[in-house]
Amino acid sequence: MFDYIRAKSIDEAVALLNDPHCVSRPLAGGTDVLVQVRHGPPSFQRLVDISRVPEMKIIEQRGDEIYIGAAVTYTEIIESRLLQETATCLVEASRLVGGPAIANAGTLGGNVANAAACADGTPPLVCLDAVAHIRSLNGWRAAPVAELITGPHQTALHRGELITHFTFPILPSSARSVFLKLGRRNAQAIARLNVAAAGGLGADGRINFARVVPGSTLSHLRRFVEVETLLIGEAPSTELCETAGAEAGRVMVEATGRRWSTEYKEIALHGLVACALRRVFHLEN
Amino acid sequence: MLIQLTVNGETIAVEAPPDITLLDLLRDYLNLTGTKEGCAVGECGACSVIMDGRLVNSCLVLAPQADGSEIVTIEGIHAPDGGPNDLQQNFIDYGAVQCGICIPGMIMAGEALLMHNPHPTRQEIRMALAGNLCRCTGYQQIVDAIEATAKQRQGEMG
Amino acid sequence: MSHFTQPTEYVGRPARRVDALDKVMGRAKYIADYRVPGMLHARCLRSTLPHARIVRLDVTPALKVPGVRAVITSEDFVDHGLYGFPVKDKYMLAYQKVRYVGEPIAAVAADTPQAALAGVQAIVCELEPLPALFDAERALDPDAPQVGPDRTDGRHPNLKSDHMLVCKGDAESELADCPIVLDRRYFTDWQEHAYIEPEGVLAIPTPEGGILVYAPNQSPFINQGNLAMTLGLPHNLVRVIQPTVGGSFGGKDDIIYESSAQVAKLALITGRPVRMVFSREESLVASYKRDAMHMHIRLGADRDGTLRACWFRGILDSGAYASETPFTAWRASIHAMGAYRYKACDVDVYCVYTNNGYAGAFRGFGNPEVCFAVEQTVDELADMLGIDPIDLRLKNCLRLGDETAHGQKLTESMGLVECLTTVRRISDWDRKRAEYSRQTDTDKRRGIGVAIMYHGMSLGAEGADYAGATIAVLPDYSVDLTSGLTDYGTGSRTVFTLIAAEELGVRPERIRIQRPDTNTAIESGPTVASRTTVLGGNAMRAAARNLRQTLDLAAADLLRCDPQQLIRVGEAYVGPDEEAVAWEKIVDHAREMGLILSAHGKWEAPKIVWDHHHGRGTPYMAYVYGAQVAEVEVNMRTGSTQVLHIWAVHDIGKVIFPQGAYGQLYGGITQGLGYALIEQISYRNGYIQETNFESYLIPTSVDVPEITAQFVESAYSYGPYGAKNIAEPSLVPTAPAIANAIAHATGRRVRELPMNLERVLLGHDLQPPASTKPAQIALSIAPRSMPQPAGQSVVRHAAATNGRRS
Ligand SMILES: Cc1cc2nc3c(=O)[nH]c(=O)nc-3n(C[C@H](O)[C@H](O)[C@H](O)COP(=O)(O)OP(=O)(O)OC[C@H]3O[C@@H](n4cnc5c(N)ncnc54)[C@H](O)[C@@H]3O)c2cc1C
Ligand code: FES
Ligand code: FES
Repeated sequence: MFDYIRAKSIDEAVALLNDPHCVSRPLAGGTDVLVQVRHGPPSFQRLVDISRVPEMKIIEQRGDEIYIGAAVTYTEIIESRLLQETATCLVEASRLVGGPAIANAGTLGGNVANAAACADGTPPLVCLDAVAHIRSLNGWRAAPVAELITGPHQTALHRGELITHFTFPILPSSARSVFLKLGRRNAQAIARLNVAAAGGLGADGRINFARVVPGSTLSHLRRFVEVETLLIGEAPSTELCETAGAEAGRVMVEATGRRWSTEYKEIALHGLVACALRRVFHLEN
Repeated sequence: MLIQLTVNGETIAVEAPPDITLLDLLRDYLNLTGTKEGCAVGECGACSVIMDGRLVNSCLVLAPQADGSEIVTIEGIHAPDGGPNDLQQNFIDYGAVQCGICIPGMIMAGEALLMHNPHPTRQEIRMALAGNLCRCTGYQQIVDAIEATAKQRQGEMG
Repeated sequence: MSHFTQPTEYVGRPARRVDALDKVMGRAKYIADYRVPGMLHARCLRSTLPHARIVRLDVTPALKVPGVRAVITSEDFVDHGLYGFPVKDKYMLAYQKVRYVGEPIAAVAADTPQAALAGVQAIVCELEPLPALFDAERALDPDAPQVGPDRTDGRHPNLKSDHMLVCKGDAESELADCPIVLDRRYFTDWQEHAYIEPEGVLAIPTPEGGILVYAPNQSPFINQGNLAMTLGLPHNLVRVIQPTVGGSFGGKDDIIYESSAQVAKLALITGRPVRMVFSREESLVASYKRDAMHMHIRLGADRDGTLRACWFRGILDSGAYASETPFTAWRASIHAMGAYRYKACDVDVYCVYTNNGYAGAFRGFGNPEVCFAVEQTVDELADMLGIDPIDLRLKNCLRLGDETAHGQKLTESMGLVECLTTVRRISDWDRKRAEYSRQTDTDKRRGIGVAIMYHGMSLGAEGADYAGATIAVLPDYSVDLTSGLTDYGTGSRTVFTLIAAEELGVRPERIRIQRPDTNTAIESGPTVASRTTVLGGNAMRAAARNLRQTLDLAAADLLRCDPQQLIRVGEAYVGPDEEAVAWEKIVDHAREMGLILSAHGKWEAPKIVWDHHHGRGTPYMAYVYGAQVAEVEVNMRTGSTQVLHIWAVHDIGKVIFPQGAYGQLYGGITQGLGYALIEQISYRNGYIQETNFESYLIPTSVDVPEITAQFVESAYSYGPYGAKNIAEPSLVPTAPAIANAIAHATGRRVRELPMNLERVLLGHDLQPPASTKPAQIALSIAPRSMPQPAGQSVVRHAAATNGRRS
């Protein structure tokens, strides 16, 4: 048994979340929370509904940054012209989340706060170098998404903190970002592996910008800088993408050791990263 | 707590616990049993309803979250005379119905699609149904029925 | 080939499902939608151990929980509720031992679902773990833990069925003489029916001291028999009505009978209606599945591709109870060698007890499993010999006049060759096969594969094969039908309606078919094994013909002529003076004559004999045939397989209800696609790992390709209008067709189902660490809501707009 209250503003939400008499948690789309309360007694006494807080539903460009409210849904991301132009990997990821009804309800903030290892929203955010903006009674703080997520279902969020929005710098104009997902079926599927990747070329035709973020691989989501370093300064080619894919596999195995799934994931991640990079560098559609 | 919402055009206030789902509210409190429960975790779409113009799984919406919202359920889909509307008639005519348990959700998904995309391709129709499981039909005749309805509605408007 | 030619008015013409309107409007009522005043809610205590002795079971603490009205155990049933067909080995509630995780031990009825759960949790149940058996291939080892009941004939207690044999000639020496012999092992995993409506049952006590049970079962009469037996009631105090069923596919037999007995007993004790509705999680843990099957096949051939011998061994892991798996094993044995001619054949299939859940009836009954093995082996032979797979099949497949491996001569209704040649043409097979064979080493490769199948109709030598139907004209001139065979989404209600309309010469709109009800329908055996159209259809045809005779008599009397002189124009009767008389007038006249306007019909299948000891005879009265082609694209880097298209051509005899037949085919193929690629139930140390649809994946609309289907109507003389059947066979060849397409694309064979990412990429499966958690969570899910008494809490304000579209 738990209670429900709806917040109308960020200030109100933060006040409700910090009510000393009632252990409260944010409720956004509910697509994670409602499944969890089915599986066991809740760890909270009240849900604070932030899904309709207007300030948390904004998608806009602010200077050379993109601003996305934490309560923005996948459908709103998919439908945003701005994001289609500036954050392809995030839009592609959103298209692959659940099915239409999940996309209509699920939010980016919920995806980050839930911090599932197989989440599809988080690799694109890390790939875009996104920063989460967090409000609490102590005011604002900002944390890169890559640092906020500390492990599977673990974040550096404190009780009473609310992610209000994310910002990320617009990619260089030459850069392109993509997202690939490998699941057991084509919709409503948990990612076996996914990858967000971005890259761009300098005037000399060589790679001067590269980001590779595989998901469902490490316990701590991060950019594979080892792979990125290998790409920088090279001219894009199919062989280079293969080398990068192999390196991604190697990095994963080094970090995780050999687990039950490694035999498969090592090969598949190689293929997935190579394919993502071929798309990034227009070697394939 | 008191939850006020519009269901199928009718404004309703209902006293219900805050921790039940919209699906529970519809079925148990409003006796609208056309909306089905197949999994209760957002995977099957049997509980699909349209909330403020968007398709949602009512098993993943907390009942009080729907306060102030406009909900359309299968009971709200019909022709003015209370008979089947064009989409429902096409489901019958194209053989899209077998056991029927998924069908209310399928019709909601079909209506939601046609609201946002009146000219869907077959692939777009399939994508719009991707969260609605059907174990009987293999989806093909359901896609046929929605495709036919889109064409007919286009004709009416053109 | 003899095609049925006699013109028909309704049969085989476009028609609509009789129950579709209620379903599209959301008005059809399934068990979870029933609201009965005073209704109690029931829930089971279920085992959390795979094998254990019940050392203490004390329900008194549960009875003290507020809201709990009754608690029952096996003690509350006659003979502890022992039931089961063909093997009586299961109890309505566990007696002395539990043999799988999820087995019901006690049942509680309470005012609310919450109180029922509290009651379940208050029961004191001590389980003492017993050594458990999880490996079917070790089940008959002398030191294997005993799972099955004691037996006195000296055979291993874990042997669940007899050895099911098919024997022709001397397969060993024939194989020794073959220049080419393929020796292969195959495995197919458990499959869940995944009907979208979870199980539920409602029981209402009657004033006479009997019980009325609304049960979405397949065979209400079997349920009635079980209830009478285990409750100790005479049959006429037990009434079973089948409400609308939200899918079944073989899955709503035993599990529903068991729940029915539990709620019926609780209703009798409390004197109040009792309903039990499963959550999806409970359904997955508690319900029976398609068996897992270990297969070993040896196929011998000449270098020109002529098949000569088939040797086949199959072990079904069918879990803790028999349910209908002995039938599965038998059907598997009959079809194990595929639809081919052989000089010699040696098949031996049996099922064993383990502590892995339990298996029961599932669409196809063993044939999908064996078809996966034999159709891949035949394909491999074609590859080895460099013969086109369709050519090889055409060379060897059964044709009219052939004798099957069982010794049955095929004298009619044989459309397999036409299925194969048609599917070859419509799939553009030859071009694609050649093109994809030339693919160079790309990341994504395409392949095209074929599989054929045959499937014996109805129960065959499995049991007494008969069905009954009734028909009556009601005072409002509507026509009322009943059938003892049921419709759980398959469309048979529509088939029966069309047949009655055809025979009686009245419009289908005039006809209504009753819900299956043991009080009104005639016992007709189980609704399984694709027997409904032929058995039920013939019975309905007989009933309608009987009624038609009466009406013809009345018409002849009214029109003063001989019945032979009557002709029909639409519904009207026309006599020699060429004046049309409305059907209603004839009905009125018949009544005035004192004639009874109701009739029965019964149809019994032709007698066939199967010799179990020698594995020879006539297993089925006739067969349906089919050929499917699948085109796939395999991602060579990830093992991900997309099915791009499926072509299916099936010989089902005369098609009575075309839209329904296509629907069965599309739906069956989709289940076959899921079986092929993604559907996986894993029992790990006896604990199921997949407890909802987020882990048990079935195909979505974007996993299923467009399907092109066609029928070959090679009439069967005993079938109504020449009809055979379609529901089961549709899924049989799908998985092997996909497997053969994958092999064509990748050059590698996957010999285990499902052909998931790992198996396609690596050639073997990978399993995460086993967990007991999913099952434990599944059994403790707490309900938060319950149906409210009508109209209490709702305040309605002014109605605004109503109705959505014109
Ligand atoms: C059928 C189904 C399919 C799914 N498919 C996918 C998929 O393909 N890919 C994928 O990545 N995920 C998937 N999910 C998971 C889920 O939909 C996503 O993680 C979604 O983004 C969660 O967002 P939400 O708004 O629904 O979160 P909620 O359930 O509302 O919240 C999740 C958690 O985040 C906290 N929270 C929410 N918002 C904030 C905030 N602003 N600040 C701080 N904490 C917050 C909540 O307290 C809660 O702990 C699926 C879920 C279902 C049921
Ligand atoms: S019941 Fe809501 S999605 Fe299945
Ligand atoms: S018609 Fe049965 S699940 Fe769709």
